[in-house]
Amino acid sequence: MLKVTDLSVAYGSITALRGISFEITEGEVVAVIGPNGAGKSTLLLSIAGVLKPRSGRIEFAGRNITGKQAEALVSEGISLVPEGRHIFGSLTVAENLALGATVRRDRQAIASDIDRVLAMFPVLKDRYRQRANKLSGGEQQMLALGRAMLARPRLLLLDEPSLGLAPLIVNQVYQSIMDLRQSGVTVLVVEQNVTRALAVADRTYVLSFGAIAMSGRSTELAGTAAFDTAYFGVSREVEQE
Amino acid sequence: MIVLQNAIDAVSLGAVYALAALGIGLIFSVMRLINFAHGELIMAGGFCLYALVGQPLLVVILAVLIVSTVLALGMERVAFRPLRKANPATLLISSFAVSYLVQHVVLMIFGSRAMGVPFLPELGTSIEFLGLRIPRLQLVTVITTLVLMVGLVAFFRFSRIGLQMRAAAEDFTMARLVGVRANRVIAFAFAISGILASMVSFYLVAQTGSVSYKMGVNMVLIAFVSSVIGGMGSVAGAALGGFLVGIISVSLQAYLPVDLRPYRDAFVFMLFILFLFWRPDGLLMSRADRDRV
Amino acid sequence: MSDPVFRPLHTACILICILLAVVLVATQVPPAMQRIVVEALVKLTVVVGLFIFVGNSGVFSFGHVSFMAIGGYMSAILTLSAERKHTLLSLPGALEALQLPWPLAMLIVVAIVGLVALVVGWPLSRLRGIALPMATFGMLIITYVVASNWQQVTGGRQALVGLPRFTGLWVAFGGAAIAILIAAAYATTRQCLMLRCSRESEVAAAATGIDLERERLTAFVLSAMVVAMGGVLFSHFIGTITANSFYLDLTFVTLTMLVAGGMRSLTGACVGVALISIISELFRSLERGVSLGGEVISAPPGLQEIALAVILLAILILRPAGLLGDYEIGLPKRQVTGRLMAAEQEE
Repeated sequence: MLKVTDLSVAYGSITALRGISFEITEGEVVAVIGPNGAGKSTLLLSIAGVLKPRSGRIEFAGRNITGKQAEALVSEGISLVPEGRHIFGSLTVAENLALGATVRRDRQAIASDIDRVLAMFPVLKDRYRQRANKLSGGEQQMLALGRAMLARPRLLLLDEPSLGLAPLIVNQVYQSIMDLRQSGVTVLVVEQNVTRALAVADRTYVLSFGAIAMSGRSTELAGTAAFDTAYFGVSREVEQE
Repeated sequence: MIVLQNAIDAVSLGAVYALAALGIGLIFSVMRLINFAHGELIMAGGFCLYALVGQPLLVVILAVLIVSTVLALGMERVAFRPLRKANPATLLISSFAVSYLVQHVVLMIFGSRAMGVPFLPELGTSIEFLGLRIPRLQLVTVITTLVLMVGLVAFFRFSRIGLQMRAAAEDFTMARLVGVRANRVIAFAFAISGILASMVSFYLVAQTGSVSYKMGVNMVLIAFVSSVIGGMGSVAGAALGGFLVGIISVSLQAYLPVDLRPYRDAFVFMLFILFLFWRPDGLLMSRADRDRV
Repeated sequence: MSDPVFRPLHTACILICILLAVVLVATQVPPAMQRIVVEALVKLTVVVGLFIFVGNSGVFSFGHVSFMAIGGYMSAILTLSAERKHTLLSLPGALEALQLPWPLAMLIVVAIVGLVALVVGWPLSRLRGIALPMATFGMLIITYVVASNWQQVTGGRQALVGLPRFTGLWVAFGGAAIAILIAAAYATTRQCLMLRCSRESEVAAAATGIDLERERLTAFVLSAMVVAMGGVLFSHFIGTITANSFYLDLTFVTLTMLVAGGMRSLTGACVGVALISIISELFRSLERGVSLGGEVISAPPGLQEIALAVILLAILILRPAGLLGDYEIGLPKRQVTGRLMAAEQEE
């Protein structure tokens, strides 16, 4: 479904990703974990078309999408829920959800999808006509997820969906990720919350200093000594700061 | 009575300023560009009016609308689109260049002298109402402004592209990430600013009865001030700022000692600089109610 | 020379030597062409003055032409004869009688403009983001409105004529050289370094303890004084001033010169002035008319300005950092400088 080959991305003279290659098959949930500054968000932003790669190739559903515009990729079936959620605070919940369906024209299906999202996150229903900046952090995350779902993505990119949320809310967010997978959506999730990531993902990549340090089935990765070195070895001090 | 008469003047002048400020505020909200060349949209509309005056009114109105709008779209395509990622100061300089360019193209074609345009001279007459003299031009201006504003509000609230523009104004990258097409939204903003500018062209030509290649400059400077006062990027703010500056200008004109009156604009800009210290982001800041941290 | 701190002075010396060569050549050409060089040198003084603030702080100012205006008008009042002032203006008796030699007048003017800039700049430097350029715009308009209405002091809409035209080749060269030396000397200071840091991010600079307001104010005052000197030279070069000579057109031309060469480099400012002066002159002579086989063909007026605007746009789009970017003459390329400095620090 998604095939990334030798992807390098740089901000000016600073290289954020150095020749990353990996593949995701349809219906999988894949996690990318790693310390701060490892290049996780850069990876998602590049796949979503916000950042232009310096070199390498990104293929989606067999088509080369390298360097395509972000808005065009939404119609191709890629949706990103960015870190910090980026809901439109001055717009209402209803308007945020409507914007999620920007690339679609099928009014009735959109209406029923909105109902589905509201059923999944009942808090949004209570606050449907309120401005989105009045929502709590967890509610905003749900709105961001719901908004992304309304594009009917085939590949959903999630950047730190648990960041700054209470454990109970995180449960709810991850439950909805499981639901999405049930409905056939492929998910690529970036996390710092390793336990969560390993629990939900079929496979996991560990990113460190812009390169893939290791990868494997999540169940096999957890607890191995090599995993600890790859993940914590270079970054434990940094993490503790 | 004089107070009331002044109030009428203030409202109608404010309406024009609000239209001009809206055009500037709208562009700023979607791409952080302070479009100095907005004045040249007004000027181009004026020259179109000069060329066509005497033709059927509907033809003239349509032609002026089209000229301003096409010029707005052209500017965006040629000068501003390649600079979309530049910082606001660079964008401002580039709009300065565009303004200078258009002005001198017009200068080359029409010369530097102001030229008289007898556009609807009957607008210069007044109607008497309860002892007040209301110039027809002011009446038409206020009504047009109100209609346009209601239309704009409805457009932003109810249309798909209006919603997309509001989203883009708040967070451009995120808007693109939900599939909002950047080029389309920005082109729409420029088209609307062109339409708004053409309305100001009608007012200026009807009011002064002439056109010149510098006719847009003063208006755009006032519009700057208005949109900054209201809050760059907030459409409601731009309108509010326009009316405020109109009121201030008319009050200064009416109540300043006679020998200070020529300095009216200096006072307006002095107040503006003072205002910047008090509220650098304007009265209605578009980002005041950002998402909770 | 090996000390990186004094490299700006090294650059300045090279630039001044080049100017000297240009001036020496210019002494040998007909007066009409000399005037072109003088005008370019005067503009250079102004643009270098502008560079001191805009180049180092990264904040565009649309208001510096105001200081040219203030300088020009004040110098006119101080150097015009009493009889002429009596017919043109209505000044208080003492000021009307006063007629100073121009170097003294210039010193007084520059000092007073420095004070004015301090008073105006103190609040302005407190502004952030796009509000500061907007406020400088306000400054320009206020100056223009005052200059074109204050009949008693500026002559209002009428031009002030008959200014002593002392700005010749060597005076203009002196002005430009002083401006370049001041810019370079300022570049060697800690204050300038801190200001340059703030170019990238106001917030980050403030977070590292840089007193942004003070540094901006210092540069603002210094740059206003140099620009005022340029304004004096300019007025006494033309011999006639009106409020319109110090308004949007001059602002546009000086900013174009600064941006074209690269607003972050002193060498860039010089190159920008040279380039834009040459192009302007080329189009100006086209507008005057070129005789081609007995027939005189002249370009329509306005072409010169159109060319300038197109060049500015092209540079903004194609080379956003200007033609030279950060390059300074006499210095190795930037990355190399960085490495050298790092190496020197380790020693």
